Amino acid sequence: MPPTTATGRPSNVSDALARRRRGVPSVIFFVLSAAAPLTVVAGVVTTGYAVTGVTGMPLAFLVVGAVLALFSVGYVAMARRVKYAGSFYAYVSRGLGRPAGVGAAWVALLAYNALQVGLYGAIGAAATPVLERLLGVAPAWWVVALVAWALVAVLGLLRVDVNGMVLAVLLVAEIAVILVFDLGQLSHPAGGSVNLAAFSPDSLLVPGAGALLVLAMTGFVGFESSVVFSEESKDPRRTVPMATYLSVAIIAGLYALSSWAMTVAVGPERISARAGEQSVELIFNLAAAHLGDTALTIGQVLFMTSVPAAMISLHNTTARYAFALGRERVLPAAFGQTSPRTGSPRVASLAQSVLGLVVIVLYAVIGWDPVLQLFYYAACGGGFGVLLLIATTSIAVMAYFARTRAQESLWRRLIAPGLAAVALVAIITVAVDNFAILLGVAPDSVLRWAVPAAYPVAALVGVLWALVLRRSRPDVYARIGLGAESATLLAAQDFGGEPARVRAGSSR
Amino acid sequence: MLTADEFYLIVHNDSRGKPKLHSSAAGIGLAAALLGELVLFGQLTVSAGNVTVVDRRPPADALAHTVLDQLVGESQHQSVRTWLSFLGQSAATSVAERLARAGVLRRQENRRLLRTSVSYAPIDLNAVAWPATRLRALLDRPEPPTVPDALLLGLVSAAGLTREVLWSAGPRAHHRLSVLIPALPPPLKELVAHTEAAVGAAVLRGMP
Repeated sequence: MPPTTATGRPSNVSDALARRRRGVPSVIFFVLSAAAPLTVVAGVVTTGYAVTGVTGMPLAFLVVGAVLALFSVGYVAMARRVKYAGSFYAYVSRGLGRPAGVGAAWVALLAYNALQVGLYGAIGAAATPVLERLLGVAPAWWVVALVAWALVAVLGLLRVDVNGMVLAVLLVAEIAVILVFDLGQLSHPAGGSVNLAAFSPDSLLVPGAGALLVLAMTGFVGFESSVVFSEESKDPRRTVPMATYLSVAIIAGLYALSSWAMTVAVGPERISARAGEQSVELIFNLAAAHLGDTALTIGQVLFMTSVPAAMISLHNTTARYAFALGRERVLPAAFGQTSPRTGSPRVASLAQSVLGLVVIVLYAVIGWDPVLQLFYYAACGGGFGVLLLIATTSIAVMAYFARTRAQESLWRRLIAPGLAAVALVAIITVAVDNFAILLGVAPDSVLRWAVPAAYPVAALVGVLWALVLRRSRPDVYARIGLGAESATLLAAQDFGGEPARVRAGSSR
Repeated sequence: MLTADEFYLIVHNDSRGKPKLHSSAAGIGLAAALLGELVLFGQLTVSAGNVTVVDRRPPADALAHTVLDQLVGESQHQSVRTWLSFLGQSAATSVAERLARAGVLRRQENRRLLRTSVSYAPIDLNAVAWPATRLRALLDRPEPPTVPDALLLGLVSAAGLTREVLWSAGPRAHHRLSVLIPALPPPLKELVAHTEAAVGAAVLRGMP
């Protein structure tokens, strides 16, 4: 727990620890650098228009942003009170019990792995134009993907958490480029007039709305990481909530603006067809037409750096999930090991890298399309998984406050998370109904059910595993949801088996 | 040798004094060792996540004396984790200085362009390698280790250095290590547990 600042006298301890604490801007930078905005705008938004054929994307970003802001009210309030606030499954364990917590952990592992691995499908498309222009070569997508994979695998092990300053500069540059592109698009409207149709509720009240909401959710993944700093922030009551709301607002605003600007430049009725022809190239082709070659090159280079930045960030997130579960012994204890020299979660990081390699090789050998069938499907599947996690967490927040009777306003402990839960369940219902449209497959396709059904199966396996642990290893069961803090339970526990003796005496 | 000194040498068991352990875990481990020394002296106790000074008489060692003064002077801070973070910021330097005063390490100032950095190099390589060798041998012997040795082993394990220290040891040594920590006296067992949790939390936070 952070030391209170209530004491009037000066304290070396408080001062020394306060120097390392983070303020609002620092937490926002951390959250947004994981979001990699250009990857979302150039990759997710364009492919989404192409596949779903629905124009309500800008409104979808605003709706999801509003729901997540509502969700965050209870989420950050609970983050202050729990020891390990790093991940959704910890909240679910605390609120809905440990079996549900392990179920949520399995869902999270699946969803975050999908999101990370999916990015290997985008890197080829992101890097090829730049490589072609600079070096005159156009390697196969999987060559680029394997290079990126090696980079991520090595950086993950070395824990060169890409220098915060570098990420911040890239992030600011990405946002600047997106805004410049948006201005270019808005000043060259199709048909001569700026069209607000994409914001009208009609555009979202069509079959396929659920698909857009899942896609929009994908753009927000990463906003939940702000609470990692609950104990490391300058003012625990203000910093993290403020940073969370601002991050959600910035993401919602930026993506809504960009996806709308695209429809203005192309024309709402033509956006789907054009995005289908040009895929991730769409915004760059628009920029080339409006702003010239220099802007185009800068945009393409930043897209090429944005994708690996997102990969590294998601790789670390995923590895930390597995690490926390290894520390709890819910996954084998080896996952909780660190590499001494770098402090990276060695085994967890390697496991994530192996999965990435397998998927890249599989896609390369079979010859599936990397952008649509890897990047886009994984983004949809992962985004849907995160949506399920957030919905479950909002219910867990209400349950937690109901059970602990913590001093918290009615708005924070019940009304806001309750409204969020209702909205999220509604979104999930529509999304499941629209899953064929989301993936762009026939309504009777196997994928249409296989992707959403993977999560209930994972959750069920998790719940069963927790019940097995409760019977066979109660010491591990007690640790569920505590992450690295689970080590402190050791001190309180009686161990089975015969403890070793230690000699008395304290000198040698 | 005191616990923190040995822990420092295990972490820096290298001809050039380069650490085997990343800085945040090394700092936390050394901070825990310094608190552990005071527990072993009978001047501090740890329970329910808090530290309590039980004997304010100055300890013989100057660094232990300084740490105790800080604990007494800022009694509004009681959480073990707060003290591990706080002491962890400076522990590497203060323990290295103590080893330099004892003639085990040599303080070196390296000038590079505008910056001066300080490093601590071993004087006798054998002396530096000794604690790790000693711990390895200890786990192979049938008789149980002393409390300070058990604490040191516990901290090595909590910091994630087990494989580096026990690289040549057999499964029996690993098994003995695993039953040793639960057998520590409760305050030390809790100190080791909080060290492990703090090291893990630093990994989960992602950045140093």
